[in-house]
Amino acid sequence: MNLVNTLEIDNTRNDPTQREALIVGDNNFTTVTEKVCCIPEATTTPKAWYIAFAASVSLTGVLFAMIAYLIFTGIGVWGLNNPVSWGWAIVNFVFWVGIGHAGTLISAILFLFRQKWRTSINRFAEAMTIFAVMCAGIFPAIHIGRAWLAYWLFPYPNQMAMWPNFRSPLLWDVFAVSTYATVSLMFWYVGMIPDLATLRDRAKSKLAFYLYGIFSLGWRGSHRHWHRHEYAYLILAGLATPLVVSVHSVVSFDFAVSQLPGWHTTIFPPYFVAGAIFSGFGMVLTLIIPCRQWFGLKEIITLKHLENMCKVVLVTGSIVGYAYSMEFFIAWYSGNPYEAFAFINRAFGPYAWAYWTMISCNVLIPQFFWFKKIRTSPWIIFVLSIFVNIGMWFERFVIVVTSLHRDFLPSSWGYYSPTLIDILTFVGSFGLFFTLFLLFVRFLPMVAMAEVKTIMPQAHLEAGHHRGVGDYHGEIPHAHEPEDGNSK
Amino acid sequence: MSPVKRMAGLKKNPTNDKTYWRSLNELAETPGFREFVKNEFPNNAFAMLQGPSRRKFLQLMGASFAFAGLSGCRWPKETIVPYSKRPEHRTPGVPQQYTTVLDQGGVANGLLITSYDGRPIKVEGNPDHPMGTGAADAYTQAAILELYDPDRLKTPLLLEQATEKPVAEKSPVHLEKTWDDFAATLQEIKTLLSEAQGEGFYLLSELASSPSVEALRTQLATSSPKAKWLTYEPLNCDAERQATIAAFGAPHRIQYNLKNASVVVSLDCDFFATHPQSLQLTRDFMDGRSMPEQGMNRLYVAESRYSITGSMADHRLALRSQEIEQLVLHLAAAIAGKAGAALPESYVVVRNALQPFEKPDRHAEWIEALAQDLVDHIGKGAVLAGPGQSVRVHALVLWINEILGNLAQTVNYIPIPPDSLAAQPSVQSIRTLVQDAKEKKIKTLLILGGDPLYTAPADLDLATALAGVSIIHLTPYKNHTSLRSQWVLPRSHFLEAWGDGVAYDGTVSIAQPLIAPLYESRSALELLSMLLDETPRTGYAIVRRDATEADWKKWLYQGFIEAAPVKPVLPPVKPGVIATLVRERENSPIPFSKDRLEVTFQPDAKLYDGRYGNNAWLQELPDPQTKITWDNAALISPQTAAELKIQTGDLIEIRDAQGKALEIVAYVQPGQADYSIALTLGYGQVLPHLSVGNQVGFNTYRLRTSSESSIRTNLTIQPLGKTYPLACTQDHHAIDEVGLAAQRQRLGQIVQEKTLDEYLHPHDDHHGHPPVTLWKEHEYNGHKWGMAIDLNRCNGCNACVVACQAENNIPVVGKQDVMNGREMHWIRIDRYYKGEPEDPTIVHQPMNCSHCENAPCEQVCPVAATVHSSEGLNTMVYNRCVGTRYCSNNCPFKVRRFNFFNYHKNLSETEKMLHNPEVTVRSRGVMEKCTYCVQRIETAKIQAKNEGRSIQDGEVVPACAQTCPTKAITFGDLNDPNSQVAKAHQNHRAYFLLNELNLKARTAYMARIRNLNPRLEKHESGQHA
Repeated sequence: MNLVNTLEIDNTRNDPTQREALIVGDNNFTTVTEKVCCIPEATTTPKAWYIAFAASVSLTGVLFAMIAYLIFTGIGVWGLNNPVSWGWAIVNFVFWVGIGHAGTLISAILFLFRQKWRTSINRFAEAMTIFAVMCAGIFPAIHIGRAWLAYWLFPYPNQMAMWPNFRSPLLWDVFAVSTYATVSLMFWYVGMIPDLATLRDRAKSKLAFYLYGIFSLGWRGSHRHWHRHEYAYLILAGLATPLVVSVHSVVSFDFAVSQLPGWHTTIFPPYFVAGAIFSGFGMVLTLIIPCRQWFGLKEIITLKHLENMCKVVLVTGSIVGYAYSMEFFIAWYSGNPYEAFAFINRAFGPYAWAYWTMISCNVLIPQFFWFKKIRTSPWIIFVLSIFVNIGMWFERFVIVVTSLHRDFLPSSWGYYSPTLIDILTFVGSFGLFFTLFLLFVRFLPMVAMAEVKTIMPQAHLEAGHHRGVGDYHGEIPHAHEPEDGNSK
Repeated sequence: MSPVKRMAGLKKNPTNDKTYWRSLNELAETPGFREFVKNEFPNNAFAMLQGPSRRKFLQLMGASFAFAGLSGCRWPKETIVPYSKRPEHRTPGVPQQYTTVLDQGGVANGLLITSYDGRPIKVEGNPDHPMGTGAADAYTQAAILELYDPDRLKTPLLLEQATEKPVAEKSPVHLEKTWDDFAATLQEIKTLLSEAQGEGFYLLSELASSPSVEALRTQLATSSPKAKWLTYEPLNCDAERQATIAAFGAPHRIQYNLKNASVVVSLDCDFFATHPQSLQLTRDFMDGRSMPEQGMNRLYVAESRYSITGSMADHRLALRSQEIEQLVLHLAAAIAGKAGAALPESYVVVRNALQPFEKPDRHAEWIEALAQDLVDHIGKGAVLAGPGQSVRVHALVLWINEILGNLAQTVNYIPIPPDSLAAQPSVQSIRTLVQDAKEKKIKTLLILGGDPLYTAPADLDLATALAGVSIIHLTPYKNHTSLRSQWVLPRSHFLEAWGDGVAYDGTVSIAQPLIAPLYESRSALELLSMLLDETPRTGYAIVRRDATEADWKKWLYQGFIEAAPVKPVLPPVKPGVIATLVRERENSPIPFSKDRLEVTFQPDAKLYDGRYGNNAWLQELPDPQTKITWDNAALISPQTAAELKIQTGDLIEIRDAQGKALEIVAYVQPGQADYSIALTLGYGQVLPHLSVGNQVGFNTYRLRTSSESSIRTNLTIQPLGKTYPLACTQDHHAIDEVGLAAQRQRLGQIVQEKTLDEYLHPHDDHHGHPPVTLWKEHEYNGHKWGMAIDLNRCNGCNACVVACQAENNIPVVGKQDVMNGREMHWIRIDRYYKGEPEDPTIVHQPMNCSHCENAPCEQVCPVAATVHSSEGLNTMVYNRCVGTRYCSNNCPFKVRRFNFFNYHKNLSETEKMLHNPEVTVRSRGVMEKCTYCVQRIETAKIQAKNEGRSIQDGEVVPACAQTCPTKAITFGDLNDPNSQVAKAHQNHRAYFLLNELNLKARTAYMARIRNLNPRLEKHESGQHA
């Protein structure tokens, strides 16, 4: 694997008359296939991967140990108390669901809007989505007092002849998150089938051949296959698009439908969706910058992609900032003293430190992305994106905890602090996330090769100099060299 | 009236469960069974069984066996052994109630105990008792927990003879023995009593009102005249007793009748909480303010520590306890001045003596207004002085009450036989004991109950004095005194033994057991009989004497023998004595500064004098004012704390002039008098064998001396620069300015309060709009249960909290989890301060589930585990609950309680016997909350249905309402327009908490009304602006 490539080719010029190439360097279909496939096909795994994997698996072990301890001992091992009945578990749940947002947005909405730059990062982002949703799904299941009865939240036929309570937002959550997880997984998998077939065809070992073979579902690349595949993909994109909006809206209902000051606001659904996109892109940036560096994908995941994502972060960060200020305005404008107090308490009460951490990370930090210099400096983006992740975790912490800890009657006010178990469970969830992610980068195609090829100029040779609006019009390297086998 | 069938106490009944266990007799003897039991209960249950006692084995394991079962399957199987013959008047599963009394500090209170299948589970007040109100205080409610306490002493213990090292060098070890082993020692004492006329035999008892004990004392005095019987109570009424002796020539007990009182003055007297007559005083006083429209009494309180009595005051003066004397002198002078020519000739001498006190230099306005108010209400006032005050204060109070014409109206005197235990001064007893021990006069000391080595005044050093004395200690727990005793004998719980006692008004009452002793214990009566009688009599025989069957049954049924005659004894105060007492006192203010502090010692609202130290319910009960659980603290006024640079939670050292120091945590108490530190007694016991009461809090007895047992003077405080965690149930953490501002803003809505004048002449009659609704609301055609809580009556005494805990099987969580904010009480009492920190008013507001018709909790539960019943109860379905805790988040009152752990996991088998079988024991991970005592509602419904009638108002009484000494809580059917609760909801004072959330709560609060003295009103309103 070619890990070090210090030269960055700048494709971020904003020339309105001419589009910059989305895949840079001396690349054609063959080299793209080669560059993506060489990662899962490598016979020797880099030591760094093993170290990272060992660390992640250990943390996953910590996660499951904490869960076991929790289930055998009781919710009391966490720092929860009477006013603050939800703590880190719910914060982590919303945090991970939020991260899981970027994938579907990139794959579905950007797909429908024909944003071609999405192709380089969509596989990556979707994988992240699925792993994040898996991490998210753990928390609501274990945070309930009797985790072994979590299935009672599902409407299944039972001897008690009981339906769950359809008025409860937690039930809506069950549907929203499970639907989202299912559709995201399907979308990811369906999109991956042609690439899995490529890996199957290039497989050197029997095991790889059979495994990739099974999961590529007999893909032969026929026109009929492509036709069905693209329709399926389009339909799934259509299905997933409302989910992008719905899942986090429903998660926000957990709060907005209650009557707690600080939760009970109509701004929550759009604010949560914007926040989720913000955090999702933040996490994609955090992950993709080292990956493109280490796995030699800089020509496929280019500065242009990073810059675009930075712009999304800037926009959604500003929406989030607007939502923060709007909450304050409404708290004052509504004349509701409880509401007003909830927000004054956030900013100046015992949790002011969390609030200002959130504001700094979510509103101030993204403002750096106004500068192109910063938008095109990968390692600066990387650092800033980590702040975005921290800020978005704190946003959920601020919403959940500061609203709960002081509600209506001052007699029941309290203060919440996490225990070591809380912290280790959260850290452990990162272990699970990275374990899955490391397996993904090691064994699956990180970039949607088939899709990337469709936006390469070589795919539009027949159009000559009248390629479509928004297409690259410049020189095409190796335009007349023959293609390789099966892949498009 | 309680729905359960009340039964005459039949002597057979309490022992019935014995036949029940006896059926396991043969089985239990086999080695295989023993092995099985051992495996079945691996945790220390078996450790209790060492020793060969078959009886003990049966008692303990019989219970375990029946409850925990025979099978190793997932669910323990229970073997139910039916009665082969059903005892008369006994239906299994139907509870019965028996009367009894509990003696605390020499006063017996009538009780009614509920018993399920031979297990007493709940204490309530005996409403038929002449002193009874149907209420029981927190101590009494919690006393039942002690019965089942696995830490109780189970067998007699004998101090191991020192073989190698002297006892002093190693911690004393006691060996488990039997009563048979004690026989030899018993015989020695008997010899001593008969041959040496008891010379060298000393007996130290707690103050007991029991006539049977008095009879045995007489028996001892006759047979062994040289034996000495002393009595000691760390908290006593000695000053009051001395004052009556001085003023009347004979000891008397003062009985107040606040029913007729319009002006009540408390001088450092917490008569709602720790006064032996408190239940009746509370009820009578509150009855005088429940209908403000028809007039209302007025309460003046001058005190150093903010007591719950102070929180009900219409006018409160924060005064150092030492300054109360000055205040009383000024007050007496003012009243004498106003009485003028009306003052009897004989009292002119007193007025003359009071002349120097006619012009108070401080609080003149307050004293003048109070004196005028008292004089305006001749015969309708009552002045009460606290037990910590001097003889002079008490004597002056006797005189004031007399010249105000209060005798026979609000104040009565009950003579006490001068040679009775009750007339003995407590501190003097310890002095005698120490003196005689030093002179080597004591051969054998028998201590009946109590823990004198822990509670005796520190300067007398009783422990050292008794070092060589052979002590026999009869005690429920192995305590500090037991550790130094030769023999430690287990004492029966009051629910296990026959006894009797005299109520505050002199009514002789009978204490009957409800269960056979769980362990090898004896009552004090039985032990005394073993000593004094040729053939020991049973407690039953001692108490019953020669009562006829008919009388006896009647006494047991009603709980007392005959109501004491209400015949006022009205001895005139000797004017010369009062005049002398006044003249001995100069009119000069006592200097105070941060280096000249006073410390007051107070009974603890939870542990009393320490006797309830191992009672987890009481330990976890929040103090009514500070809300501290599992600790005591030194209460310091905000200004003094600022001067000394102390904050709540700082460890401080209180040092007296002799250099004796006490390390304790500080708590800044708004309303505490400046330069006065309040300490409560009973904490800091070091008893490692106790699972609850070991090393909780700080031992304040160490600062208490024989000469200054209530108020110590001239002390200094040094902050130690360390902090100490306090577990408070309210304000878990210090509230910042943002929070305080919000509290101030909200308080007027949460606790609504008006002056009587504002209430009777409202400026605007704006009550706000009732919540509107967009759709047709649910109709409740049958019952519609509701509650009303009158804040004008509630004084925050905590009795309801413990009653609820006992009724509803509410677990204790421990100090750490209280600090985490996880206390489980279904009803809590919120305490709010109003006004400036130097002189705030305190209001108490009981908070339990309001059973909102539009319950926010119900909507958000995903599994429908909390739902509305057809009668409007917001019910919790524990089986269905998965524990999302969303309901708790959405509850605006935060009255829901979550089982963060399995809090019932480590209960001993005996403690499980305490559970109310009508109420589910909740498992881990489940939400719970107040049910309005749905089990009592259902019992009443079933009973009414069986009898083919409808439920009468007042028939359903939740545990909190039943025990409330103030009768602040009313419960009933809102659909019955004549019910108390429906009327309360219609009252002008009724309001609903957070009504703007459209909750439609079923609990109404009734606004508090303060009856301000118009002469002081300006002063007050200026203060609270």
